[in-house]
Amino acid sequence: MFDHGQPSYAEVNKDVLSVMLVTGPRYWMLLGGTMSVAAIFFFMPWIYQLFVGVGAAGMNRNAVWGTYLSNFIFWIGLSHSGTLLSAVLHITNSQWRKSIYRSAEAMTLFSLMTAVLFVMVHLGRVWYVHWSFPIPNQMGLWPNFRSPLMFDVMAITTYLIASSIFIYMGSLPDFAAVRDASTGLRRRLYTIFSFGWRGTAREWHTLGWAYTFFAVFVIPLAVSVHSIVSWDFALSVVPGLHHTIFAPYFVCGAIFSGTAGIVTVMYCLRKFLNFERYIGQEHLDNLGKLLILLSMIWSYINILELFGSWYGGTSFELEALKFKLTGFYAPLYWEMILFCAFVPLLMFSRKIRLSWNKMLVVSILINIGMLTERFIIVATSQPRKFLPDAFGFYFPSWIEISITVGSFAIFATLFLIFIKCVPAISIYEVKETLKPLRRNA
Amino acid sequence: MAIVGTFACEEDFLAAAENLKSSGFDTISLLSPVPVQEAQDVLGLGKSPVRHFSLAGAIIGAFFGFGMCVVTALTFILPTGGRAIITVPPYLIITYEMTILMGVIFTLIGFHVVSELPAWRNRPYLPCANIDRFVVVVENAADSEAARAETIIREAGAVEIQHVEDSE
Repeated sequence: MFDHGQPSYAEVNKDVLSVMLVTGPRYWMLLGGTMSVAAIFFFMPWIYQLFVGVGAAGMNRNAVWGTYLSNFIFWIGLSHSGTLLSAVLHITNSQWRKSIYRSAEAMTLFSLMTAVLFVMVHLGRVWYVHWSFPIPNQMGLWPNFRSPLMFDVMAITTYLIASSIFIYMGSLPDFAAVRDASTGLRRRLYTIFSFGWRGTAREWHTLGWAYTFFAVFVIPLAVSVHSIVSWDFALSVVPGLHHTIFAPYFVCGAIFSGTAGIVTVMYCLRKFLNFERYIGQEHLDNLGKLLILLSMIWSYINILELFGSWYGGTSFELEALKFKLTGFYAPLYWEMILFCAFVPLLMFSRKIRLSWNKMLVVSILINIGMLTERFIIVATSQPRKFLPDAFGFYFPSWIEISITVGSFAIFATLFLIFIKCVPAISIYEVKETLKPLRRNA
Repeated sequence: MAIVGTFACEEDFLAAAENLKSSGFDTISLLSPVPVQEAQDVLGLGKSPVRHFSLAGAIIGAFFGFGMCVVTALTFILPTGGRAIITVPPYLIITYEMTILMGVIFTLIGFHVVSELPAWRNRPYLPCANIDRFVVVVENAADSEAARAETIIREAGAVEIQHVEDSE
């Protein structure tokens, strides 16, 4: 597991904590850069849109959903691998999970936050967002729990809370390590965050049980979240969306894109935080194999979706299918197939699977493909509804494109803040993978 | 008074824990940088009561989720094409989510109750126990008992022994 020799217990503490405790000018420049991009590309256009109304976006009468919702699906999808993969690998006691799961879980959390921002942007009058929660409001209005949009509210809120608790509990012993290694205000803060953790046998025992239960709860939750997101579309009667295959299609796509996202994040951790010692080729190899499997399942479900539309034989389904495969957005569709169905096959080569640079390129291409997939789902279905007089066209406005770009900066900003607040690698779990401190070890 | 023994290797630490336990010391804490199953066995920690919290939370969440949908539907009646006001299939989805949410929250509460955290009061602790040392703490030991505990810890191979005042 360790490409550059096994570190000692003390070295693990030192290596991981130094990333948190020592901050150079490069970090501040990077953080300033991402925050500026987020402000200029995301928040300023959003404020503009709040003043002029959602008409500033490219959505219209025939296409009431656009890039905001496709980006929402993308970010929800990207959130899927972190917590889900971490929970599954915890239950199955996979050792290779231990040095990568903390950052993967953080990815989940920040992707979810970014996704929620897109809901806010899409809403238009964001100050009425509390109407979607089951709390008394000035209108005496109560939410309709028969609506898939309400399923979304409940599922995403649950996922956000559960993921936050999951990452926090896993970090508790490491917060104690930060407390012990720091002074002043930071020490006081981490004394509070660590709840007075000492690492007693009782504390470890309770944490082990609680963490396993969290994992057991999180796995079906993660599956339900993206299924529910898919029902936002599939429970409508819009041609191209009304498919029973959508729930597994979305869940598989989400895990696929999330796993690719983990590869990208791991590359950055290795490269910029000097974690080469802890994130090795074994992780890359395993993630590569997982990506091949997910790519093949994703391709299979795509074929089923096409087959379902064709076999249904209704004129409106065939029209939607034709528009997707040969219409204005057909190049994007085929680009998605290339990046998500064919490019991952390159990873059958062990040489590619073990090359960080090549895997970075593959992982980015997969996520470009998945971003495109989400866009195609939205942009090729609603504008081709039933009768030609309801046909329309959707093209994102500069505001939507800008906000899309800005969302990546928001994610990067949150991640940069995270690495200074939480140990990016689980200290105690990495130690568990080392030789135990025994006389004969 | 608390006796704090520091060990460099796991076998010595476990031997000290076992000997202390068999000599009748019940108020011992075993601190380690990683979970040590044998240490938990020495203290007789079996199935954790946390699981009762998880189950209770899940059941409460299920009832709460379904109840919330029903009460909401009855408070703000939305007749839709002659369909039932209380519609079970969509409410099961909310029930499912609330089951998980409450299960997670109650598990968190269970963790805090069982592990007795937060505990910000000053308790015997050595930061090296979070790095690469194993620490045995015998708490609330009377003077005569303290000497016996110290002997057991020393004989097990402790690299350092300290006496600290109990805070409680």
